[in-house]
Amino acid sequence: MSSESSKKRKPKVIRSDGAPAEGKRNRSDTEQEGKYYSEEAEVDLRDPGRDYELYKYTCQELQRLMAEIQDLKSRGGKDVAIEIEERRIQSCVHFMTLKKLNRLAHIRLKKGRDQTHEAKQKVDAYHLQLQNLLYEVMHLQKEITKCLEFKSKHEEIDLVSLEEFYKEAPPDISKAEVTMGDPHQQTLARLDWELEQRKRLAEKYRECLSNKEKILKEIEVKKEYLSSLQPRLNSIMQASLPVQEYLFMPFDQAHKQYETARHLPPPLYVLFVQATAYGQACAHMKSSQPPRQDKTLSVAIEGSVDEAKALFKPPEDSQDDESDSDAEEEQTTRRRPTLGVQLDDKRKEMLKRHPLSVMLDLKCKDDSVLHLTFYYLMNLNIMTVKAKVTTAMELITPISAGDLLSPDSVLSCLYPGDHGKKTPNPANQYQFDKVGILTLSDYVLELGHPYLWVQKLGGLHFPKEQPQQTVIADHSLSASHMETTMKLLKTRVQSRLALHKQFASLEHGIVPVTSDCQYLFPAKVVSRLVKWVTVAHEDYMELHFTKDIVDAGLAGDTNLYYMALIERGTAKLQAAVVLNPGYSSIPPVFQLCLNWKGEKTNSNDDNIRAMEGEVNVCYKELCGPWPSHQLLTNQLQRLCVLLDVYLETESHDDSVEGPKEFPQEKMCLRLFRGPSRMKPFKYNHPQGFFSHR
Amino acid sequence: MERAVPLAVPLGQTEVFQALQRLHMTIFSQSVSPCGKFLAAGNNYGQIAIFSLSSALSSEAKEEILHFSLAHDGPVYSMVSTDRHLLSAGDGEVKAWLWAEMLKKGCKELWRRQPPYRTSLEVPEINALLLVPKENSLILAGGDCQLHTMDLETGTFTRVLRGHTDYIHCLALRERSPEVLSGGEDGAVRLWDLRTAKEVQTIEVYKHEECSRPHNGRWIGCLATDSDWMVCGGGPALTLWHLRSSTPTTIFPIRAPQKHVTFYQDLILSAGQGRCVNQWQLSGELKAQVPGSSPGLLSLSLNQQPAAPECKVLTAAGNSCRVDVFTNLGYRAFSLSF
Repeated sequence: MSSESSKKRKPKVIRSDGAPAEGKRNRSDTEQEGKYYSEEAEVDLRDPGRDYELYKYTCQELQRLMAEIQDLKSRGGKDVAIEIEERRIQSCVHFMTLKKLNRLAHIRLKKGRDQTHEAKQKVDAYHLQLQNLLYEVMHLQKEITKCLEFKSKHEEIDLVSLEEFYKEAPPDISKAEVTMGDPHQQTLARLDWELEQRKRLAEKYRECLSNKEKILKEIEVKKEYLSSLQPRLNSIMQASLPVQEYLFMPFDQAHKQYETARHLPPPLYVLFVQATAYGQACAHMKSSQPPRQDKTLSVAIEGSVDEAKALFKPPEDSQDDESDSDAEEEQTTRRRPTLGVQLDDKRKEMLKRHPLSVMLDLKCKDDSVLHLTFYYLMNLNIMTVKAKVTTAMELITPISAGDLLSPDSVLSCLYPGDHGKKTPNPANQYQFDKVGILTLSDYVLELGHPYLWVQKLGGLHFPKEQPQQTVIADHSLSASHMETTMKLLKTRVQSRLALHKQFASLEHGIVPVTSDCQYLFPAKVVSRLVKWVTVAHEDYMELHFTKDIVDAGLAGDTNLYYMALIERGTAKLQAAVVLNPGYSSIPPVFQLCLNWKGEKTNSNDDNIRAMEGEVNVCYKELCGPWPSHQLLTNQLQRLCVLLDVYLETESHDDSVEGPKEFPQEKMCLRLFRGPSRMKPFKYNHPQGFFSHR
Repeated sequence: MERAVPLAVPLGQTEVFQALQRLHMTIFSQSVSPCGKFLAAGNNYGQIAIFSLSSALSSEAKEEILHFSLAHDGPVYSMVSTDRHLLSAGDGEVKAWLWAEMLKKGCKELWRRQPPYRTSLEVPEINALLLVPKENSLILAGGDCQLHTMDLETGTFTRVLRGHTDYIHCLALRERSPEVLSGGEDGAVRLWDLRTAKEVQTIEVYKHEECSRPHNGRWIGCLATDSDWMVCGGGPALTLWHLRSSTPTTIFPIRAPQKHVTFYQDLILSAGQGRCVNQWQLSGELKAQVPGSSPGLLSLSLNQQPAAPECKVLTAAGNSCRVDVFTNLGYRAFSLSF
C-alpha cells in the first residue's frame, strides 16, 4: 500500500521542482546542515527519483533478509540465532529507512498540496479581476451607446432655414467664419438666433396683450355709455309719440312691424327685409319729395302672429315625417278613416301655408296698384304669390282684354319661361308622389303661383343639377333680384294697363295712334280695322297660315292669341297675333292672310311675306317712345298702311275692263324692286313718299 | 313637312328676335367656290354665309356653316365666282371678296365699285351679275334699266347698254358669239352685241298670245340660253324660244311664275313660286317635280366644278333660311341652314 501511494505522489514532486533540485540541495547542504535538522528542508534536497530507487532497493533487501531468516529458521540450529539477530538488525535498519522515506513522502505530499492550493488561489484572484474588468467594459459600452442615442431637445425646434439664418441674423450671432465649417457651432448659433427671436416675439405678444386689455376696457366704457343711453332714448321715444302722430310719421308702427317680422319664416323674412330696404332706397332717391309720403312700394305683414308663435312651440309639427307619423297614429285611434279622406288630410297638410304672409303694394305712376301677396308653403319649402291689380279709375273691361289683368296670368312669364305652374323645388315631386298629387298646377289658383322669381326674392335657390338637402334663404340672392324684378313688375302692369286701354278702342275698330308716333304713318290711311277678338290657343294652332310660327316654337301656351281683321273695299286681311306675356320687350308676332283675288299668304305671295317681315322683324322702329306701350297699335296701324300700299301698287290686269279698284294715291319712287318684286313698303316721314327698304 | 313639336325652351327677347329674323329670311343668291367645295349664299339682311359642301356631304355630315358676315347694307341679290374672287352685289354696289380669305373669320372686302348712276333719289339695286370670260369683264344690271360692263382687270366701267324701260331682272350669256341676253320688268328680252354695244334683237314676250298672262304681269324673271335656244319665264308663262326666228316653240304648262331657269344636259330646270324644282323635257313634258323645304324658290345652283366631283350637287334657295341640297336630281337630301 505504501508503495502505491508513494508511486502516486512522486511525479507531482518531480514536476513541481525537478530541475532545480540539484542546485538547491547543494546550497542547503553547505549552509543549513550544521544548524538544525529539518526534515522539511531535507525533502527539498533529495531527489524523489532516487528515493524511489532507494525504496525499491530497501524493499528488495527486506524481502531477501526475510527470506533468509525464514530459511534459517526453517533449518534451525544454534548458530542460527546469531545470524538471525544479525539479519534482524539489518532489517531494522531497512525499516528505519522505510520510515524515513514514508515521512519524506508525506512532507512532499503536503508541500505539493500547498503549492497547488497557492496556485489555485492565485488563479482565482486573477479570474475575479478579469470578471471585474469585463463588467467595467460592458458598463462603459452601455454608457457610450446611451450617449450616442441621446436626443437633444433642440432637434425638435423648428429652426429657420440656413440661408434665412445667414441673411437675417446679426453677425455677432451668426459668426459666419466660425460656423460655416463647423456644424456644431452652426447649430448653436442658430439656436441662439432662435432664442433671440423668440424673446422678441414674446415681447411683442406682451405688448399686444396689453393693447387688447386697453381696448377691452374702452369697449366696456362705451357699453356702459350705451346702456345708459337706452332709457334716455326710450323716454325720448315716448315723448315723441304725439309729435309722430301729428306729423304722420309712423316710425313706431314700422317698429311694431319689425317685431312681427321676427315670426316670419326665413324666406318671407328675407323678402320682407329686402323689399322694405328697396322701398326705402326708392323713397330716398326721390329726394325732392318728403320721404314716406309718396311711396311706390309699401310692405306689410298679414296674418295672425299668435298662430305663427304656436307653430314654433311644438317643433315637430312643421316636420314632414312627423306629420306622417301623426297621421298614422290618428289612423289607429280613429278606427281607420277611408283612404281618400286620409290622403286628403295629407294633401292639405302638405300644402299648408304659413299663417303669416307678406303684402307688397307696388304703385305705378297712374295710381294703379299691383297688390302682391306672398305665401310660404312650409312643407314644400316654396313661396307662392297672388297678384291683383287695382286701378285709380273704374275700367270698362273689353271682352278681348279678359286675360290681361286676371290674377292667373298677369304675372305669367315675367322672366322667359317662368309660367309658375310647376314647383321650382325638385324635391317636391317625391313628396307629391307620396300623397298622390299629380302636379301643383291644379292647386295654383288656391295657393298662388310659385314663380321662380318669387323664390329668388325669398332668397330660395333650387339648382337643377344638384338637388340640395336644405335650401337656406339667402339675402344676397334676394337683393340681387329685387330691383330688376320690381322694375319688371312695374313695366308688366303698365304695359298690361296700356293694352287694356288699347283693346277697348281696338274693339271699336279704332287703332289709337298717339301723337308722338304719328310720324310713322302717312296722314291718310284708308284700310280700317274692323275686328279684334281673342282666339284660343288651339284655334290658333289650327289656322292654316300660322304653321311657320308654330314650327318655330313661338306659339307656346303661355301666350295670348288674337285675331285682327283689316278691310279695304273687297280686300280682307286677316292677322293672327301672338302676344307674348313679355310684351312689350318681346314683340307681338303677326301672321297674315289676304283674301283678295284669291287667298294670299306668305307661302304663295312674297309681298305678304314682306309685310309680315315689316311688322315682325322691323318692329323696333314702331316701338315709339319708351317704354313702347304703343307697339301693338303701331303695328296694327302699320299693317293698315302696308295693306294700302299692297293694294294700290298691285299691277293692273289689262284684260279686265273698268277702272282699278284701288287707284294709286301713295307716292312711290318705284313699284317693284329686286328679284322677288317687292313693293315699296317703307314710309319716309317728312317727304311722305314710299320707297323700298 | 310634319308639324314640329313646339319647343319647350323658354324664349327671351333676343331668341324671339332671332327666330323671327330667320323666319323672314330670304336667300336671294348662291355661288359655288372655284374649288367646288364651298357654297356662298346671300340673304335679304345683307349676310353672306359660306357653307362647306364637302364636309356636309362627307360621311360625318357636320359643320355645315363656316361663318357668315354682314357683307352688304341691303339684300345680296346676286353673286358670281371668278377663279379667285367672289363678287356680290345688292344695293347699288358690287363687292369683291377673296375666296381664300372668305373661309377665315373677319374677312374684309377686296374692293367695291358702284356703276355710274344717273338718279340720285334712290340707289338702284343690282339684280344680276354676269361674267364674260372672253374679255374678262363683268356685266351688271338692275334698277337703273341699264347694263354696265366693268373691266375686271382695271375695275373701270367701260360700256353702258341702254334700252330697257323698266328694271332688269336677269342676264344670260350666249357662249359662242359675244352676245348677252337681258330680261326685265318691262317684259322684253333684249339681245345685245358686246362688240358694237348695240341692241340686236328684242322679243316682247307678253305680246305673244301663247305665253302672255296679263294677271301675272309682263315681267321676265328668268332667262337661260343654249346656242340658238332661249328659255324665259316670269309673269308670262315659261317658254322655250328659237332665237333666230324669235318664235316660241314650247310653252311649259306651269301656272306659278318662275324665278330661275337653267339648261341641264337635255333638261330644263326651273323654280319659282311653290316648293318644287321642276324638270322639263324640251318637248314641254314635266319630267319631275322635286319638293324642297322653302315655300318659294329664287335661285338654283348646279355645282359642276370639275375640281370637286364628289360635291356635284344641285342647290336651291328662296323664301326661307334654308338652302336645299339635291345630291341627285331625284330628291332633296338635306338642307343647309343660316
